[in-house]
Amino acid sequence: MKKGLIFSIKRYSVHDGPGIRVTVFMKGCPLSCWWCHNPEGIAPGVESLLETRKVGDLEFSEPAVVGKYYSVGEILEILKKELVFFRQSGGGVTFSGGEPLLQPEFLKDALMACKDLGVHTAVDTSGFCPWPDLEKILPYTDLFLFDIKHLSDTRHLEHTGVGNGSILQNFRMLIQSGKETMVRFPVIPGINDDQDHLMRLREFLAGTGKGNITRISLLPFHKTGSSKYRKMGLPYRMEDTEPPSAEKMKELKAFFSETGIKVKIGG
Amino acid sequence: MIISDRVKKLREQSLAAPEKLSAERAQLLTRFWKSGAASEMPVPVRRAMAFEYILRHKELFIGDGELIVGERGPAPKETPAYPEICVHSLKDLDILNSREKVSFKVDEETKRTYEDEIIPFWEGRTNRERIMSLMTPEWLEAYKAGIFTEFQEQRAPGHTVLGYKMFRMGFIQLKEEIREALAALDYFNDPEAFDRAGELQAMDIACDAIIMFAHRYSGELARLAGLEKDERRRKELVKMSEVCRRVPAHAPETVHEMLQHYWFIHLGVITELNPWDSFNPGRLDQHLYPVYKKQKEEGTLSDEELYDLLGCFWVKFNNHPSPPKIGVTASESSTYTDFCLINLGGVKSDGTDAVNEMSYILLDVIKEMRILQPSSMVQISRKNPDLFIHKALDIIRTGFGQPSCFNTDAIVQELLRQGKGIEDARNGGASGCVETGAFGTEAYWLTGYFNLPKILEVTLNNGIDRRTGRQVGLQTGFASDYQEFDEIIEAFRRQVKYFADIKIRGNNVIEKIFARWLPVPFLSLLVEDCISNGRDYNDGGARYNTSYIQGVGLGSITDMLTSIKYNIYDNRKFTWDEMNRALDADFNGFEKLRYELIYNTPKFGNDDDYADRQAVTVFEAYYDAVNGRPSARGAVYRINMLPTTSHVYFGSVTCATPDGRKAFTPLSEGISPTQGADSQGPTAVVRSASKIDHLRTGGTLLNQKFSPSFFEDEESYNCLTALIRSYFSLDGHHIQFNVVNAETLREAQKHPELYRDLIVRVAGYSDYFNDLGEDLQNEIILRTEHEDV
Repeated sequence: MKKGLIFSIKRYSVHDGPGIRVTVFMKGCPLSCWWCHNPEGIAPGVESLLETRKVGDLEFSEPAVVGKYYSVGEILEILKKELVFFRQSGGGVTFSGGEPLLQPEFLKDALMACKDLGVHTAVDTSGFCPWPDLEKILPYTDLFLFDIKHLSDTRHLEHTGVGNGSILQNFRMLIQSGKETMVRFPVIPGINDDQDHLMRLREFLAGTGKGNITRISLLPFHKTGSSKYRKMGLPYRMEDTEPPSAEKMKELKAFFSETGIKVKIGG
Repeated sequence: MIISDRVKKLREQSLAAPEKLSAERAQLLTRFWKSGAASEMPVPVRRAMAFEYILRHKELFIGDGELIVGERGPAPKETPAYPEICVHSLKDLDILNSREKVSFKVDEETKRTYEDEIIPFWEGRTNRERIMSLMTPEWLEAYKAGIFTEFQEQRAPGHTVLGYKMFRMGFIQLKEEIREALAALDYFNDPEAFDRAGELQAMDIACDAIIMFAHRYSGELARLAGLEKDERRRKELVKMSEVCRRVPAHAPETVHEMLQHYWFIHLGVITELNPWDSFNPGRLDQHLYPVYKKQKEEGTLSDEELYDLLGCFWVKFNNHPSPPKIGVTASESSTYTDFCLINLGGVKSDGTDAVNEMSYILLDVIKEMRILQPSSMVQISRKNPDLFIHKALDIIRTGFGQPSCFNTDAIVQELLRQGKGIEDARNGGASGCVETGAFGTEAYWLTGYFNLPKILEVTLNNGIDRRTGRQVGLQTGFASDYQEFDEIIEAFRRQVKYFADIKIRGNNVIEKIFARWLPVPFLSLLVEDCISNGRDYNDGGARYNTSYIQGVGLGSITDMLTSIKYNIYDNRKFTWDEMNRALDADFNGFEKLRYELIYNTPKFGNDDDYADRQAVTVFEAYYDAVNGRPSARGAVYRINMLPTTSHVYFGSVTCATPDGRKAFTPLSEGISPTQGADSQGPTAVVRSASKIDHLRTGGTLLNQKFSPSFFEDEESYNCLTALIRSYFSLDGHHIQFNVVNAETLREAQKHPELYRDLIVRVAGYSDYFNDLGEDLQNEIILRTEHEDV
């Protein structure tokens, strides 16, 4: 069986689907969103960077590897430790990234094994992948967390590096398939929060078979990733952008609630 | 609940009143003792007569607007002393008066009374001096090295909680029980019949004393009613006078009577002696509910009246800080709190869900009163509804540190394993910090903290205390003599056994001292079956008797052993020579080595078996050395794992350790991971902590610090509820949440004046952040904050 390249596994993850979850962050992403807060998840290979940590006032640096190959069995070993929490909370595993569908074979194997273990499965995706890859994991995925970043193809290309044609097409197909889906909309000031776009997005979501969309999550932009860019020597293009205010987020919540779909600020 | 102006005012007064040391009790006791009035009496009778004398002559206090009356001192926060246990020197009084943290004001008159009357009489005849004179040189050596502490050197044994019976009975009925017990004495076959008669006679005097004390209040209330101009208050005073006339002589029949009844009992216990930890009403929701329900049905209790009574009752606890210690030992436990832990929820004696309307009412009171004492906890059984936990989380999220969460199903199993009956087990709970007990039927004494990391330090140094150079332990060899890691474990086991023996030998002498010289006939009335046994609580008279020794520093010692195994034996990253030089230098000049110990070595609390295995090894070694051994009063020794604040004191006597900890800094607390060592989130902590067998302890303490972001909505409540239930399904005993962010705490440290109301969970209890020493403050800041990024 193929191994999967993973850059982080987080336990007591409570914002990536229902209950207490383990989120498996898979490395490699075809998008490069300006606001990405996991830039270490973008490149599809093992990277190394300098990790600096403090002991008292002294700083020590040593090379740290980002990305490790896991077998499905190794993932299961970690999940088994969490079964008691899954059972109590109705939680499970979420495959996120990066883009998990960039490693479709491994993802499918892992999801199948999780289902065999009786674990609730979620996939957090940008939707940028060939439809057959998505289709293959449908039977083993209980919940999709699907990012919609921008409805304009050109703006999408500008800010994420890819157009949104296949993403929106996949989204429609996914909704048609009847799978439970939660939409995630990152609210990025100056990029996708203009009134015109918001109106279009609301219309789009309300019109796209909302029965299967169980939630719209509004993810406010935040800058917690900026230090990672510095550490990795990458340019950070969002330095001058401020996070949306709490009031603004509340307004947006009310705005999207008019779709009739449950809206939540945060995951 | 809306706090009435009356309760608001009393609460403010209680918070603002300065802690004062009162000479009243000490002076009355001295006068009684000097009078020789009882010098020919059996010891229990003499003690009961002294108790009566104090209650007859002490000042009464009735505050404006109070509905529940009675103070241990002459006024709120005026704390008496217990010179028969230990006596403050003039220097102690100066220190108490002037020290920055937890000061107790001592006025000139008190000092004079001490100088003229109290010190001259008691110096040389206190119980502390008696204890110290009877301890072996090995005991004194280990005690001074900080291997263990001694609970009973400055306080009496206690740690007892009122059970069901005393909420249903008056002292006149108890006098009847005493008469029956006296009539049943068998002078033909029981060689102790005469001693039992003395004890029973003492109990009878104690009954009369508490009734007399209540009647004094009743009289004073009636007198004040006669003077009162305000009609509403006058009626209240008349009613209060009637209540004090009825209880505790008779069984209480209303909520008002129940609370006043309990409060007289509470005052009796803490006036008789200064037992660890302060007495408490236990399962208050269970006790109050039937009477509350009856009154509700009759329409004799309005909500306003109920909340007023409960508010007044709550303030009473806060008026009673723990008695100040003598000498330098204040640093062992720097706190005002006297650990009254009210239990809510759990199961009834028939095993069914015990959460009732009163449980929610009391949670409301806790939330609105927001004071240090009484402390509170929720017992959570798998039978209790999630709503109950959610209501508790509503309070926890405010960062107030209360209530803490306990696993009823584990507590019941712990008690059953110790041989309690199923109903007694279900009527039990936790008191103090986290200590398991059968309420109303058990005398479970804590006897001292046990410094596990220090014992490992000694094990690695041929029994020599690294700090002082003195030989305190067995000569099992130096670190570099151990060829295999397992040899260290073996030597550690021998040292633990050696020190446990020393401690237990000392305990067994101390138990006899209390049985012989310091019986507590009043407390004995309250704990079954002291009356029918005709035996004192301090002499094994209770139905169940347990002596605990509390293990401290599990996280630290686990990390120490793991580091030694990982770095020196398994991976040979350093030699013992390098490690020892680094430890001797307190890592100065060895910063890179320390970095490796901190960041590149497995740690307890991350669900990593490599590290967690050592926790189990230490636990088992400690358990084997203590559990099941008999004590002098007929109790059985058990272990529990909690530190109160002793992990700071124990840290201050422990040199640099192989886990990278600097010399004299705090150890880990309870069974929590070392501060900052857990990096895999709370489920990993919970899994690590559940690898030891909680059911074979009498309580463990797990502290988890959360930022408020974990409490933001119903989904996060559900996750926290699931986290608690998961830990409890793994037999975890207790978990508490410290909800606060580190930034706030740093601000509080910089500007204490702006954070006077900031309460944090310390270790099994809450305290004002400002009252904590700087090192304890720093430690709390360090505890891993599971920031949700």
